[in-house]
Formats: sequence, structure tokens, C-alpha cells
Amino acid sequence: MAQPGSKLSPIFPKGAAPLRALTVTMAVMCYLACLAIGALVLVDRAAEAWSQGIAREVTVQIREISGGNMEKSLTTALAILKTTPGVLDAKALDRQEGIKLLEPWLGKISMDELPVPRLIRVSVDEQAPPDYPALERSLQAEVKGISLDTHRRWQAELARMGRALSLLASLVLALITLASVMLVVFAARSVLEANRSVVEVLELIGAEHKFISRQNDSQFLATGLLAGFAGLIAGIATFAGLGFSGGVAGDSVAAAGRSLLFAPADVELRLWAGMLLVPLAATLIALWTSRITLIRMLRQHT
Amino acid sequence: MIELESVALRYEAGPDILKDVNFKMKAGELCFLTGPSGAGKSTFLRLLFFALRPARGRARILGRDVASLKARELPLLRRKLGVVFQDFRLLDHLSVFENVALPLRAMGQTREAYERDVLDLLDWVGLKGRTADLPDTLSGGEKQRVAIARAVVTKPELILADEPTGNVDPALARRLLHLFLQLNKQGTTVFLATHDESLIAQTKGRAIHLEGGTLRDL
Repeated sequence: MAQPGSKLSPIFPKGAAPLRALTVTMAVMCYLACLAIGALVLVDRAAEAWSQGIAREVTVQIREISGGNMEKSLTTALAILKTTPGVLDAKALDRQEGIKLLEPWLGKISMDELPVPRLIRVSVDEQAPPDYPALERSLQAEVKGISLDTHRRWQAELARMGRALSLLASLVLALITLASVMLVVFAARSVLEANRSVVEVLELIGAEHKFISRQNDSQFLATGLLAGFAGLIAGIATFAGLGFSGGVAGDSVAAAGRSLLFAPADVELRLWAGMLLVPLAATLIALWTSRITLIRMLRQHT
Repeated sequence: MIELESVALRYEAGPDILKDVNFKMKAGELCFLTGPSGAGKSTFLRLLFFALRPARGRARILGRDVASLKARELPLLRRKLGVVFQDFRLLDHLSVFENVALPLRAMGQTREAYERDVLDLLDWVGLKGRTADLPDTLSGGEKQRVAIARAVVTKPELILADEPTGNVDPALARRLLHLFLQLNKQGTTVFLATHDESLIAQTKGRAIHLEGGTLRDL
């Protein structure tokens, strides 16, 4: 109640029940949006890291050829590789290392009698990679049963998976935005219905629709901000929890959380900027959607 | 100020509540509308404050043809009107001062600009000491005086009152009537709907009677 000289009360009564419900549901939406943004950055970063790893290395494989001399083949191949421009390093894996790589598929069986191919791990200059077709031709000219795997197929697969996951996360964000808009429309309608008598008095005294809808701005602004920051804090807490609770969440998830929390500066910036957009978006959605809904309802009412 | 020619009023597809009504009222006049409960007095007033459009006929209020009014024109026209209801229609969460100041606030005026006028108006209706009180703490007569103060705070050209004395005792009714008479003396056009014909007897105003959907002069 306002004494002359004191602050004026809001024209619509504060703390309407639909707004309290809206704050809680919007906070959940904002939390989900933070998770989706985190997942988007995480997937993007992982795909980038995997692609870089694959692009930095190629593999040379030499199959056992009957009557062939594997050690000689390896030495020849290494000699060609080390003189090829764009190759930084080339290292032959010994037979045991090759067998170990097959274990996940074949299990621990004796492979002494099996013709296990030998592998050469080749590090390449990402900026100036070798001419792969020419390299493969010169290797095949000197060594029988040799092939060059540039991992292009895996790179393409990873890029495709990364794009699909990014699209999925973006779709989730779009659905969250749509659901939030619908929630605000519903709440704005409920607030107007709950204050029908106030609206009637305001129309009777000559208040314009813009003025009437503006009276709700502060309430919807507060709802958007509160829900946005609650969701943001919960989102940060989740990633922090994932980062520090390795035992509970499992190493890979914990590493993912840690990778977000202690990511390189550019990733951190992308993540925090994305997450900080959540309260801003929530506030704008709450403010503009409620305003448009109220004005449309008032027009129908006149 | 008000010109009605062969006006019929009804709610959507319902029957005619008013039929073939002809009525004229000049600026500065005082007019009472009487009639039994359910005769359509409130419906008649709804036409006058632009909440209803005529089903037939021609209605000109404050120089504007009601049928051709656009929704965006209503707020400015309604600011030239002051409406008082039997049930007061005060906002319960606002103080007496804030309720009276509401029309000026809606017009975008600052508190500094209107505070003195509102306090003077509350003094005029005898509520100077109740400015910070909420409507729930007021008697019926006090609430009606707040409603009257709110209706006149914008210095309207036309005051419409729907049974303004319906919820108060005869002594208070006379006091409220006195406020309307004072406003009329100052040049404001006053149109007052009431079923209390004793009120009309206390004044020299014009009176019309509404019954069976038709209007006649008393």
C-alpha cells in the first residue's frame, strides 16, 4: 500500500500462481538447454580432436607374402617413408604390438601360426601432408603386399557422426525454445484470466493495450531471469559434478565433464558464451512472448 | 454529447434489450435514468461507455459514431468519460491514493505531476486521511467516494454512474448525489442510472424511464 511519496504498487498483483509454475518449468527448460549446449560443444570438440588425431597419422600395412622377407620389406618401406616430404616420423610396430591390436576382435588366442600383417605408424605434417597417391605408388613399386591407409573413410564417418550429433543437439535446443514459448503463452493467458477484473478496469479508464501488457513486463522479466540463472547454475553444477565424480560417473563421462570444465580457452569461451545465452534467451522469450500474447488477447477482448 | 436515433441493443444473437431508443443529451446537462431492475439500465450505460455497439440505429457519443469506432480509438475516447459502478470496481491490492491516480498513471503521467491533484480530490470526497488504506478496509460509502474520485480525476466531459447509491444508506446516498451535483455545476455532463426515484426528487435534473426495452421522459 502506497503512502503519498512512497513507491507505487504494481497494477497487477504480484506472485500469481501461473508465474510461480512458469518459473519452475522454465528453470527446468533452461537446465536442459545448458545440457544440450554442453553436449553440443563436447561433441564438436571430441569430433575435432579425433579428426585431428586421424589427420596427423597414417598407417602402412604389409601383408605376409609367401616367400617374402618381411624384415626387408619393412626396412625398404621405412626408407621410402623417411625420405618422403610431409612425413615427420615413421615407426614400425613389432609383431607382438600388431597381435595386441587384433586382440579386441579375435580374443587371446595363439597367433604364432597366423600371417599377422605388420604395421608402420607414420606421423605426417598436417599443414603440408605427403602426396598420398604418389607415396602409395612408390611403396607398392618396391614392396609386395603393402598398402597405405590414410583413415579418410574414418575421418568422413567421424565428421558425419559429429554433424548428426550437432544437429540432434540443435534440434533439442529448438524444441526446448518452442516448449518455453508455449509455456509462456499459457502462463500469460492464465495471468490475464486471473486478472480479468483488473484488465476490465484498466480498459474502462482508457488504458492502452501497450500500457496494460507493459504492467506484466517486470513479472515476466523476473521469471525469465530467475529461471535462466537457476538453469545455468544447475547446468554448471552438473558438468562440475561430472568432472569431479569420476568414480560414480565412469571415466569416460568424467573425462568429458572435466574436458568441458578445464577445456582449452577457445572451447571454454564457446561453452560459457553458449550457456550464458540461456538466461538471456529465457528472459527475452518470457518478455516478448508474454507481451505479444497479452496484446493479442486484449485485441480479441475489445 | 449523446445522440441516439432508433437504437436497438442486444447481446450477440439474443433478443433486443433496448428497442428503437431515441435520446439526446447536451453538454452540461444532468440526466437520471430510472427503471426497474432488469430493465436494461446497465446495458444502456454499456453503450454509452463504448462497451457495446448498437444492433440497429445510429449512436453518436462525444461526437463519434459508435458503430464505426476502431478498437485503437477507444482508450482516448474513454479518457473523456468517467464511469462509476454500483460495485465500485476498485483494485483491492492498490491503496485509495493509487486507485484514484490509476487513470492518470495509465495516461503516462508522473506521480509528481498528479500527486497534488489526487490528494485535493481525496480531500473533496472526504477521504484525505485514508489515502494509504486498502479498499477492503473502507465502508461501502467510502469505496463509492473513491470510485467517484477515480472517475473525475481526468476531468472528463461526461460522467456515467450506474446505481452509484445502490449500496449505501439514504444519508450517504444524499452526500454522494451532492458530489455529482457539484460536478454538474462545474460544467460536467452527468448521466446517472438509478432505481431510487427519491434521489431524482431532490434535484431539478431531467429524468427518463426505461422499461420493456423502450425509453420515455418522466
